[in-house]
Amino acid sequence: MRILCLCLLMTLSLLSSVPAGGLVTDLSNKRIEIRYSFDGAQLILFGAVGSSAVDPVNDAFDVVVVVRGPEADTVVRRKDKVGGIWINNANLHFPAAPGYYAVAASRPLVDIAHPTVFASYGIGFNNLPLIARSERGLVDPDPEFRRALYRLRASENLYRQEVDSVSLVAEGLFRTDVHLPANVPVGEFLVETFVFQEGSLKARNRIRLNVDKEGFERAAYDFAHGFPLLYGLTAVFVALGAGWLAGVLGKK
Amino acid sequence: MPLYLPIAELSMDVFLVVGMGAIVGFLSGMFGVGGGFLMTPLLIFAGVPPAVAVATESNEITAASVSGALAHWRRQGIDVKMGFVLIIGGAVGSFFGAQVFTYLKSLGQVDLMISLAYVVFLGSVGGLMFWESMRAIFRQRRGYVSPPLSREDRHKAWIHVLPFKMRFRKSKLYISALLPLAIGMLVGVLAAIMGVGGGFIMVPAMIYVLGMPTNVVVGTSLFQIIFVTALTTIFHSVNTQTVDIFLAVLLLFGAVVGAQVGARVGFKLKGEHLRALLALMVLVVCVKMGFGLVVEPDELFSVAEVATEAAGH
Repeated sequence: MRILCLCLLMTLSLLSSVPAGGLVTDLSNKRIEIRYSFDGAQLILFGAVGSSAVDPVNDAFDVVVVVRGPEADTVVRRKDKVGGIWINNANLHFPAAPGYYAVAASRPLVDIAHPTVFASYGIGFNNLPLIARSERGLVDPDPEFRRALYRLRASENLYRQEVDSVSLVAEGLFRTDVHLPANVPVGEFLVETFVFQEGSLKARNRIRLNVDKEGFERAAYDFAHGFPLLYGLTAVFVALGAGWLAGVLGKK
Repeated sequence: MPLYLPIAELSMDVFLVVGMGAIVGFLSGMFGVGGGFLMTPLLIFAGVPPAVAVATESNEITAASVSGALAHWRRQGIDVKMGFVLIIGGAVGSFFGAQVFTYLKSLGQVDLMISLAYVVFLGSVGGLMFWESMRAIFRQRRGYVSPPLSREDRHKAWIHVLPFKMRFRKSKLYISALLPLAIGMLVGVLAAIMGVGGGFIMVPAMIYVLGMPTNVVVGTSLFQIIFVTALTTIFHSVNTQTVDIFLAVLLLFGAVVGAQVGARVGFKLKGEHLRALLALMVLVVCVKMGFGLVVEPDELFSVAEVATEAAGH
């Protein structure tokens, strides 16, 4: 209830400042800080549809929210039985696979619009323009590997398609929860909101979300990657000190 | 209580980590082993990426060996000269081991290499140890006493032919430096690729190949392990950035407490019974690792980001 009030309040203040006909969205938190106690994050995306995009009071509309994490060179490997043991054999590189991908919708996607509509806007994992790198250059990925990428990431809660839903509150107001797991990649996230009515796109907008390691966690990571030799030496001295301390205490 | 580990890039329960350290510490205190061969597989089973598990465990072993070596130093149980020869060999081995590790990591085969190394080395050492301790137990029941070896018989003839002879006063040995160099090198390679101290190879090699007196074997082995695992930690930090200090410190905290309790339990058991138990444990880890290689996995695919895998970017 508190959250709802917050949504309404913030939306009201937003509505007054936005030109009519716009789609307005905002996140409860646009900057996620990964600290020592980080165990994932729950965000609320809320938004409102202005009057000229669709008539929210009289006409039904649908909302689809796509959250996409930073892209990274990702490799999917398949184990095969070679000489009696299972080893990583075939592999496929995806030079730009999103580290996080979530689709939430107010209704099942099939009810909102025709699959070709989603395909044209690149909504849904199957419509992501994923390409693979091979010896022959850039190719369409082997569907088996593409499915494996989705399956593995989905099992880590990094890819979530139609797991969360967008709830339409009233008067063109909507909200959805964005779930970021503990192993979420750091970087810039894009949150795209699409408004559909009678199977066609009426409005869309995008906002950014940043996930970053902060404070001590950031410092440790930067230290390890920026000054690896110094980091290694520090690790050794910490170990020597701790071991010496343990030895002295253990003697007593 | 979850704790985010910035290098491993995952969130782990603090009590789980400290508990794992305590269990392995208990066993290592009881059996007088470093425990790396238990800790690294345990970390992998708990979901830590194998590369992080191996590199971090090297760091933890450095700390664990310091406290062990201190105790032996007070009892004058370290042959420093022998230790340094072993360290030189270990440094070379660790350097090449880390290179191989980095190369295989970029190929995605590092997990395979870790598993294979565990199966081969733990299988052979565990098998030998089990056989030896069972024989000792049965012989003791029958009242058999093995005839003492005379000093001259300690070495095979070929060992005396090797060049570069050195005198190791503390060990009362006059042997070729090539032998401890080679042993050190093998241990260094294993330290880098398996995340172990290598005591389980070095101690038998010092006794049976070098013929060192048993009162300096464990201390000298720990002395070598401090330096070689420290170097391994640095190599892994520079090559792959996979050393997680926080994970290592948490494990160490548990291990120190566990080892104190374990050592007290260990004193109450007979030597050959301890060895038989240890051998069984080694074989269990070996079989578990081997099982993962032979049985068809539920999920054939795995996914990894290349940026975190590439050597040195």
